[in-house]
Amino acid sequence: MAEDGAAALEVAEIHKSFGSFEVLKGISLSARDGDVISMIGASGSGKSTFLRCINLLESPDRGEIRLAGETIRLRPRRGVGLVAADPKQITRMRARMGFVFQSFNLWSHLTILGNVIEAPIHVAGTPRAEAVERGEALLAKVGIAEKRDFYPAQLSGGQQQRAAIARALAMEPEVMLFDEPTSALDPELVGEVLGVMRALAEEGRTMIVVTHEMRFARDASTRVAYLHDGRIIEEGPPSQVFQSPQTERCRQFLASHL
Amino acid sequence: MNFEVIVANLPKLLEGAGLTLELVAFGLVGGAALALPAALMRVSPRWWLWAPAFAYIFFFRGTPLLVQIFLVYYGLGQFEAVRDSVLWPILREPFWCAIIAFALNTGAYTAEILRGAIQAVPVGEVEAATAFGMSRTLSLRRIILPRAFRIALPAYGNEVILMLKGSALASTITLLDLTGMARTIIARTYMPVEIFLAAALIYLGMTFVFVQLYRLLERRLSRHVVGAR
Repeated sequence: MAEDGAAALEVAEIHKSFGSFEVLKGISLSARDGDVISMIGASGSGKSTFLRCINLLESPDRGEIRLAGETIRLRPRRGVGLVAADPKQITRMRARMGFVFQSFNLWSHLTILGNVIEAPIHVAGTPRAEAVERGEALLAKVGIAEKRDFYPAQLSGGQQQRAAIARALAMEPEVMLFDEPTSALDPELVGEVLGVMRALAEEGRTMIVVTHEMRFARDASTRVAYLHDGRIIEEGPPSQVFQSPQTERCRQFLASHL
Repeated sequence: MNFEVIVANLPKLLEGAGLTLELVAFGLVGGAALALPAALMRVSPRWWLWAPAFAYIFFFRGTPLLVQIFLVYYGLGQFEAVRDSVLWPILREPFWCAIIAFALNTGAYTAEILRGAIQAVPVGEVEAATAFGMSRTLSLRRIILPRAFRIALPAYGNEVILMLKGSALASTITLLDLTGMARTIIARTYMPVEIFLAAALIYLGMTFVFVQLYRLLERRLSRHVVGAR
């Protein structure tokens, strides 16, 4: 996994407008294996929209997405933007990218273990016994092994988000996408989720993290990208971005968020 | 109040209740079979899918069940093609005509209940299914419909009860369901109060048993909802 230099995910020139409002004005990002890229920026700067374009939960107007060298085939649909041209390919590609949502989005009619083994069994075709065994190990890893037979609504927000991370890990994704994973949590629950994410970063997982947690961005990521007004206007190792930002915008943003 | 006449006619009334249950059961099964595709068509963005479903639901919710029963029972026989078809032995039976009308009627209501439930499934959970590589069909089967059925459950229970009581209209096309049987007995005994009261109590008993069973089902399927008991 920690094979340095190989491009795990390359996203080029993503444009996206909602009506006449241009949210993304050409964003490119390249993550090598083992990279942890934190995307920071004010609310409304387009971070989440960009992340959702990567696995086509949102349809970009222009752009290209390549996962481990394989380009997602796209075709235009009037009034929507670019959509997947090949349904088989996009479901396969999505299965290779783990997604963690701000509001967890666990399947509420399934138990915690049920959530974790659902996609491995029904999407990846893993035999049930094997999926259960791996699912239990993952729940233990995120520290909620004893909650396996609970339903999502019976868990705290922090536990739900850790379950959601286990659910994403269960597909053994090549890249993990985190969409503000701690923003919906009570302050005292943020730490347990960040702890799990730090552990994943240390394992050398490739992660793209949209976040408002500046300490996580500074301490746990290999690179930081600062978005402003639909563009990445500052990008580099955290030491550089946090200690000597090149733009006034970024300086101001960091001053108000640290 | 003459209780003897009730006791004497109880076996006949229960026989009628049996037919009522049969009509309702067949009607509900047929209705469910119609409702699922109709609801799925109804939520489709493609007009040629939702328009027929919309028309079906609009017609059967917008006209009285009694009229629908008459249309099936008296109407179908008007067409020579129907009389000559292999289905005529079935379509000329009032029993099957009532079931067809019930199925079409409850199917329309159930489709609408299901449509609302499908649309009430949280967007985020559907998005999660997409994000983990589920196709639309798989996500429908594994996430959307199981969630929608649970959401639809209370409203559907209500629809079953309405169907049970609506089935009394089967008596208008010669069927001896509970109501039909009661009317026949009254024609012989001239004791409308006693016999209708007995029939009402039997309807009440059937509803009561159904509500109890349904509550068990709801409890079982709502384990994931905090505070549901």
